Amino acid sequence: MNLRRFEQREKRDVELAEEIESHLAHEQDANAARGLSLEEARRRARLKFGNPRVTRERVWSYRSIPWLEAVWRDLRFALRSLAKTPGFTAVAILVIAVGIGVNTAVFSVVNTVLLKPLTYPDPQTLVELMNTGPQGSFPGANIPKFNIWHQQTSIFQQVAGYDWGGAGLNLTGSDNPQQVQGIHVTADYFAMFGAPVLAGRTFTAAEDSPNGGRVVVLSYGLWKTRFGSNVNIVGRTIQIDGQPYLVVGVIGRGFVTEPAGDLWLPYQFDLTSHDMAHYFTVAARLKPGVTLQQANAQLKLAENQYRRTYGSDALPPHDGFGIASLQESIVGDTRSSLLVLLGAVFFVLLIACANVANLLLARASARKRELATRAALGAGRGQITRQLLIESLTLSLTGGFLGLILGFVGLRLLLRINLGGIPRLGENGIAVTLDLNLLLFALGVSLLTGVLFGLVPAFSASRPNLAARLNESSNRAGLGFRSGKLRSILVVSEMALALVLVIGAALLIRTFLKLQAVDPGFDTHNVLTMAMSISGDRFQKTEGVAQIIRDGTERLKSIPGVTNAAAACCLPLQGGFGVPFDIVGRPKGNARSTGGGGYYSVSWTYFDTFKIPLLRGRGFTEHDDGSAPGVIIINEAMAKQYWPKGDPLKDRLLTAVNMGPTFAEPPRQIIGIVGDTHDGGLNRDPRPTMYFPVSQMPDAETALNSRVAPLWWAVRSNVDPRSLVAPISAALRETSGGLPVAHIRTMDEILVRTTSRQRFNMLLLTIFGASGLLMAAIGVYGLMAYTVQQRTQELGVRMALGAQASSIRNMVLRQGMSLAFIGVAIGIGGAIWLTRFLASFLFGVKAWDPTAFIVTPLLLSAVALIAIWIPARRATRVDPMTALRFE
Amino acid sequence: MGAKKTPAAGDILQGTLDMLILRTLVMGPAHGHTIAEVIERTSENSLDVEQGSLYPALHRLEDRGMLASEWGTSENNRKAKFYRLTAKGRKELAAATSRWRQMTRAIGLILGESME
Repeated sequence: MNLRRFEQREKRDVELAEEIESHLAHEQDANAARGLSLEEARRRARLKFGNPRVTRERVWSYRSIPWLEAVWRDLRFALRSLAKTPGFTAVAILVIAVGIGVNTAVFSVVNTVLLKPLTYPDPQTLVELMNTGPQGSFPGANIPKFNIWHQQTSIFQQVAGYDWGGAGLNLTGSDNPQQVQGIHVTADYFAMFGAPVLAGRTFTAAEDSPNGGRVVVLSYGLWKTRFGSNVNIVGRTIQIDGQPYLVVGVIGRGFVTEPAGDLWLPYQFDLTSHDMAHYFTVAARLKPGVTLQQANAQLKLAENQYRRTYGSDALPPHDGFGIASLQESIVGDTRSSLLVLLGAVFFVLLIACANVANLLLARASARKRELATRAALGAGRGQITRQLLIESLTLSLTGGFLGLILGFVGLRLLLRINLGGIPRLGENGIAVTLDLNLLLFALGVSLLTGVLFGLVPAFSASRPNLAARLNESSNRAGLGFRSGKLRSILVVSEMALALVLVIGAALLIRTFLKLQAVDPGFDTHNVLTMAMSISGDRFQKTEGVAQIIRDGTERLKSIPGVTNAAAACCLPLQGGFGVPFDIVGRPKGNARSTGGGGYYSVSWTYFDTFKIPLLRGRGFTEHDDGSAPGVIIINEAMAKQYWPKGDPLKDRLLTAVNMGPTFAEPPRQIIGIVGDTHDGGLNRDPRPTMYFPVSQMPDAETALNSRVAPLWWAVRSNVDPRSLVAPISAALRETSGGLPVAHIRTMDEILVRTTSRQRFNMLLLTIFGASGLLMAAIGVYGLMAYTVQQRTQELGVRMALGAQASSIRNMVLRQGMSLAFIGVAIGIGGAIWLTRFLASFLFGVKAWDPTAFIVTPLLLSAVALIAIWIPARRATRVDPMTALRFE
Repeated sequence: MGAKKTPAAGDILQGTLDMLILRTLVMGPAHGHTIAEVIERTSENSLDVEQGSLYPALHRLEDRGMLASEWGTSENNRKAKFYRLTAKGRKELAAATSRWRQMTRAIGLILGESME
C-alpha cells in the first residue's frame, strides 16, 4: 500500500486550494479572451468547475482512512460518555475483570501444563516407554526391558533410563554434609534430552558400564551454590556418601528435569542381568520420520525378542510394550481436571457477559433519546451500532486488562499455597509465566466478550423507531416489550449458569468433606517424618541398615517428648512398592502368582509409632531378624480378599515370585493382621499390603531399596512434633555417622498433601461458583430495580387507587422470583447433564447427589429473594403524589 | 446519497481519465487547466472533463509516482502547478494504452463491424 498519500494532508490541501484558484483564473482568462465581461467570465468559470470545496473534500478523504478516524472519534466519545456514569462503568469493568480474570488464571495453568512444549529440543519426538496390559499402560522398566528397548535402533535415536532421584545422596567431605537429589541415568540421557554442557563432558559408554568408575555430572544450580561456579571443579573429585567421585562435567542452566536434580550418576547397568525388579523409567527419542504407529509396531516384535531371551514368564501373553508421548505422560490425568476447570470458567464468563449486556441494555434505554436524536440527524444503523460496540469494547478491554492482572497475580498467590499436585508448574508455580499465549488469550477473550455483550444492546438500540422514541416524554418509559423480554432472558440464563456452577462446587465441597472424614487408618497427629539417604556402601547389606535403625530408634526414644520411633522404606499414605506373592500350598492355576500387593519393609516399632491397630496375631519384635524364621504381617484388606473364609495366620507366603534368583527367598509365616491404611490416597480403597521386617530382607533387596528410596524415619511425640526437629535431626546425624535428614514433614502435613488436588479443584470451583452466584444476584437485582423505577408512575397510580403496600411488594416479588425459578429449573436440567463430567473427581457422592441438587437451588432462590426484596420494598415506598407529579 | 446519474456519451469512463491525463502530458509539462482543455479540444469537444474530478485524479497519479509537479508561471503569466510525466508514468501509459486497445477491439468484435 502506498503510504505517501497520508503525509502532510493540511499542507497539501492548501496547495490544492491554490491550484484550483489558478485553474479558475485561467478559465476566466479564456472566457475574457472570448470577449465576455470580467464579471461574466468569472461566473462561467466557477459554474464550469463546480464547488471547489467538494473537490478538496474528495482529495482529503482519499488521503485519509475514514473508518479509522470514525473509530477514533467514537472512542473519544465512548470515554467521555463512560466517564459521565462512573458507577455503571465501575460495576461493568469489575464484572468483566472477574469473568476474564478467572479465565486468564485457569488458562495460564492450561497453557503451562498442556500447551507449552517441553523445554527439550524437538520435544514431539520424545516418548516414554510403557508397559501395556489389560489394566492399561504404565511406565517403568527393569534392566532386561531396557536391554531389549535400547537395541531397537531402527526406531529410536537414543534410549535412556533414569530415576527421579528418590533415594537422595549425601554430599560429604566437609563440615556441612548436604542431602541432594542425585539422578541415576544411562549414558544417552544427556544427548537424548539435548542437555547443554557448560563445562567438561557427560558420561561415556565405558563410564556407564559395570565397574565404570565413580563419576558425576553436576547441575548448574549445585555447581553455583555448592561449588561457587568454579569451572576448575571439572577433573577434581568430590565426596558423595564418603566416596570420591570424579566430576566429569557441568550441565548448563535452563536444563529442567521433573523433578529437579542436583547431580547425575551413571546407572552402570549390567545388561546381561536377569533382575526383574522395576525401578526406573525409560524414555527414547524417535528417529526422524518414525511415527508412533511404526514405533509401536516395532515394539510388538521386541516383545517376542524379550520373551525368547528372558522366558515367556517374564512377559505374560496379554502384556506388552508401547510408547506414549513424553509430554502426555508427564501431564497424565491432569488434563481432564484442567479441562473441567476451563469449562467452569467459561460459564463464569458467560454469566459476566449476560450481566454486562443487561447493564448496557439498561443504559441504552436511558440513552435512547440521545440515540434517536443521532439517528434523526442522519447517523446510519451501522454507525450507531459501531459507536455502541466501541463503547462495549472499551469496557471489555479495560476489564480484560484488569482481569489479566487480577487472574495472573491471584493464581500465583494460590499456587504458592497449593500446587494441586499439578505437574510442570515448577516450585511455587514459578513456571506459570505471563507469555504471549496468555496475552493473546486475554486479548481474544476481551474482544470476544466485548462484541458478545455489546451486540445485544446495539441491535436492540439501533432498531429504527425514531418517531416513537423522540416523542416519548421522558427516558422513563420502558425500553419496550422486546428488550424487556431480552433482559429477562439474560437474567434467567445467568441464574441457570450460576446454578450449574454452584452445584459443581457443592459436589466438590461434599467430596472434600467426605475425604476429610475418611479414617486414614492410623493416628496422624504428633508424628514427625524425615528421609535419610542411605546410598553409601555400608547400606548395601541388610545388617548395616538394621544396625542404623536399632541405634537410631534407641537414641530417638531418649529425647524428651518422644514416645516412639520407627524406620521404614515408605510412609503410610505415600504409597510403597508392589510385589507378587504365592500362598504356599494353594493352587494358582495358570496365573503366574496368587496375587500381588503393596510392599512395606518396616522396623518392629512401625505399627506402634503410627498407631496402626493390630487386629490379630502378633506384631514384629526386635528379634524378628535375619537369624530368626521369616515372618510377614498382612493388612485386613489382604486377609479379606485372599482368605474370605480361611485363616491367614495358618498360611505361609512366598513373595517376590518371578522376580529372578537375586530376590528369591524361602516362604514367610503370616504372623499378624493389622488395620488398613489408605496408601493409594484417601479416595481409594485400601489395597492388600504386606509388611516385612527390614532386618529380614534379602541383601539384594536391601541394596535395591537403598538405591531407589531413602530410609524414612517416623517419630511420635507427646509435644508439638515441629518443636523437636532440631534434636531429632541432631540425634539421627550422630548415630548414623553424619548423615543428614531431609523432607522433614509432619504426618498431618502429608495427609493434607494427599488431598491437595481435590482441595485445589474444590477451592477454584467454589471461587467460580461464588462469583457466578454474586453476578447472577446482581443481575436479577439490577433488572428488578430497573423495572420498579420504570413503573414508578404505574405503582403510584395503583397506590392512589388503594392498592396495599404488601400486594405491591408481592407483585414485584412474584415477577422477580418467577424469573429466578425458571432459571433454577433450567439450571437443574443443565446440571444433571453436565455433572457427569465431574464424576471422576467425586468421592463418596454421586454426580446427581440429592443434597447438592436440593440445597443449591434453595440457596440460589434465597439469594435471588434477597436481591429482589430490596427493589420490592422500594416499590412499596413510592409516594403516589411524587410519582404522579413526576412529569 | 443522490440517485446515480445515467452515464451520457460525453462522460469519461471510470479509469480512462488517468490514461487521458498521461497521454496529454506526453507532449510536455502542463498545468491542470491546459490538461482539461487539451482533452476536450483533441477529442473534438466530444469528451467533457468534469473539472472537479480532474484534480483528485492528478493528485492520485502524483502519489503513485506517475507524475511529478512543480509550481511555475503559465503562458498567461499566472502562477500554476505544472505536471510532468515520470518514467513510471510513461510505462503505465504504454500498458494502459495497450489494455485499452485490446478492450475496444474485443468490444468491437462483439458488437460486430456490420453494425456500422
